[in-house]
Amino acid sequence: MKLPIITRLAILDLWHEWILALCMVLAIAAILTPLLVLLGLKNGTIQTMHERLMEDPVNREIRPARTLNLSSQWFDEFAQRDDIEFIIPTILRGSSVIRVTTSTKRLLIDLIPTDVGDPLILTNDGIIPNADECVLSYVAAEELGIKTGDVLNTEITRTRNKNKESVQVKLRVVAILNSRADALARIYAPFAFVNDVEAYKEGRAVYSRNWSGGKVLPPLSYDGLWMLLPQNLTAIDEINLTVNTGLTDVQRAYADEFQQKFSFFPPDNYVIYKLLAKGNPITTGSINIIKNKLRGKAAIILPFVDNVEITDANNIRVIGLSLSKSQTDILGLPPLPWGNFDVNTNFTNQGQTLLPKSISERYSTSILTSNVMGGKIKFPVNNQGASFNENIIVPIELIGILRTGQTNRIIFDQTQKTFLSVKTNYHGFRLYAKSIDDIPNLYRHFVAQDIDVIAQIQEIEKLKVLDQGLSKIFWLIAIVGIAGAMAALIASLYASVERKKRDIGVLRLMGLSCLQVFRFPIYQAIIIVVLSNIVATSGYIVIASTINLMFINEVGAKICALPYTYFIFIFIITIIISTLSSLLAAWKTTVIEPAEAIREE
Amino acid sequence: MDTLVLELKNVLKHREQGGATFELYTKELQLHKGQFVAVVGESGCGKSTLLDILALVSNPNTCEQFTYYASEVIDIKQLWKNKQEKALAMLRRLHFGYVLQTGGLLPFLTVLQNLQLVSEINGFHDSKIIELAKRLDISGILNKKPQYLSGGQRQRVAILRAISHHPQIILADEPTAAVDETRALNIIKDFHTIAKESGTIIVMVTHNHNLIAPFADVTYGFDVYDVSDTLTQSHLLKL
Repeated sequence: MKLPIITRLAILDLWHEWILALCMVLAIAAILTPLLVLLGLKNGTIQTMHERLMEDPVNREIRPARTLNLSSQWFDEFAQRDDIEFIIPTILRGSSVIRVTTSTKRLLIDLIPTDVGDPLILTNDGIIPNADECVLSYVAAEELGIKTGDVLNTEITRTRNKNKESVQVKLRVVAILNSRADALARIYAPFAFVNDVEAYKEGRAVYSRNWSGGKVLPPLSYDGLWMLLPQNLTAIDEINLTVNTGLTDVQRAYADEFQQKFSFFPPDNYVIYKLLAKGNPITTGSINIIKNKLRGKAAIILPFVDNVEITDANNIRVIGLSLSKSQTDILGLPPLPWGNFDVNTNFTNQGQTLLPKSISERYSTSILTSNVMGGKIKFPVNNQGASFNENIIVPIELIGILRTGQTNRIIFDQTQKTFLSVKTNYHGFRLYAKSIDDIPNLYRHFVAQDIDVIAQIQEIEKLKVLDQGLSKIFWLIAIVGIAGAMAALIASLYASVERKKRDIGVLRLMGLSCLQVFRFPIYQAIIIVVLSNIVATSGYIVIASTINLMFINEVGAKICALPYTYFIFIFIITIIISTLSSLLAAWKTTVIEPAEAIREE
Repeated sequence: MDTLVLELKNVLKHREQGGATFELYTKELQLHKGQFVAVVGESGCGKSTLLDILALVSNPNTCEQFTYYASEVIDIKQLWKNKQEKALAMLRRLHFGYVLQTGGLLPFLTVLQNLQLVSEINGFHDSKIIELAKRLDISGILNKKPQYLSGGQRQRVAILRAISHHPQIILADEPTAAVDETRALNIIKDFHTIAKESGTIIVMVTHNHNLIAPFADVTYGFDVYDVSDTLTQSHLLKL
């Protein structure tokens, strides 16, 4: 295929005056090459520093500046963010200190939870520990004189009921971290283990590890109290009931409303009150205070909840009711096997029920289900006989636990036959962003959430400022260089057209159009710049390799590097600039008349 | 007359330079097929001005008739009047050939590239060029660049280039100025041969009347006189 005629003429003319063309190519390359090297140095240096920052997860770490109270739900939601590589709850310092004993030393060392994917471990020669394993920080290993593969004898101690108690645990050391990872003596252990250590140190039992201790029973909570009184309350009594009790409202109520809730009418001579604590649940503490305040008034207190739904297999309505024998007598009800409301009952007492007469013979136990935080909870209850109406009646204490279960995690422990509180709140976290570039954004996110955090944001900002500063310097130099190159190109092309006036006239005389000769200097400019780019890129490769070779020992990375896209970008930009530079010469060709070729000067 | 190709009547070209005015008046000029026309005169008499008008690159100031007779009659006067530069350029390109004083060859092209250029611009390929080059005895220098040719060789290449696209009229501006008498004679002979063989009109501008006289079918000269200090008039005359 033949090139278009004007392109061919442009090339042949350059070839004819190849010395001039070569000088022009070298002149532009001489400007372009140092610019490329400068850009490469800027880019490579920033990239190396960026990688350095990236390499060390410490720079991607965000940690809280003060003790927080974060739910496991918060952690679940946060872990979904795609700018986060790893997040794990942390234990309060001091709550996870364990005693490590070697043949020569006894040391108290902090325990840090870790889990699969922990970059601090993975990028510092570590292995994520499994159950009964741990990873030591460099300092810890030094202080203890421990090597990878050794077994640590640890002791977890606590003071409970004024007695000193402890359990022994053996942990196998699977790795020792690089000294850069942690400046303190620390033991990294699986999250579950650290969590259990904390529970033990707080006095709780850890059944899965056979560590004894107290059960953490969920507290009871209610939405309000019904109160039956043989006489009206005075205004002073009413106000007194809202002082120091958590109650906000004392209302008169009607028998109908009471009947709807409990399926029986109160005695006619009793006044009905509804005691409410708007916004907050009523705790057992409040109930005790209220009971004390009402002493001597023969009040019957019936705690209630609004939105706890309990269902059995037959979908029969469940009513919570706890009354003493004397109270049931007053209300004209048969006595309840579990008796009066008792704050301190356990599940043996709570797990009882009266079934409607029609089915009470059929079941000795029923399985009840209720919705609590995190899903449904199922628990068995013992049938104690027939109810006095068509509802299932359970102790109100049971419903109080389930009411608590709506805002706090509770479980029903089958072996212990009890409800237990599950710990869902953590006091801190250890977080690593995917990239250091995500840090500023995450930082802002935490500030917006009102969580004070510490991050290496200054380091990242410093790098950005450096990058911007270097970019400015580069562009300053580039503009001067490009202006020079443009001037040289304009002069050269213009002079060339001036010199070739007659030749261009001949071309016009032979029939080339204005537009065709107009393209002549433009094409020449483009050809010169394409060649300059080739020379400059080759020059850059040589210089960059030399620089990198010179600094490889000191820096260990390429300090002069440019991505391929830059070359494409520079190529396009220089062609645009050269085209612009050639326009003056191109315009000059159009004013050359064919007659000028004929007329001899 | 069916051999008439170009006809001018009462054409005036007015030119001003540095306060002095020069007027060229052409009462009548007819160019016929195969004619070898000589235009002779000293410098400053209006030879180039006439050539500019004939070459369709210069617009006459007043003009009674300026017609080109091709397969159809083309009114050049009208084309100039309507500023149809494209049509003029097309005419130039297809029907006119030019031989300039020093050849007007493009220095960055070889002889062959120079010869092929006109055909190429006009979009056809002329295979006869090499044959013609042999006849003009320049086949040995086809791959050389003009700077390495002698003046005679250069002019021959220029002549060959001028006829390569088979124009109706070849305008030659002092083609013999840069060569010695013998070579000049040979060049004139070449032109003469081409005119007679192909029927192409040759308009040759020269100051050497004696050299061209034996070959010219028609010779034009100029009658120049100063009307005032600032006005010079020149009339084209048939000698």
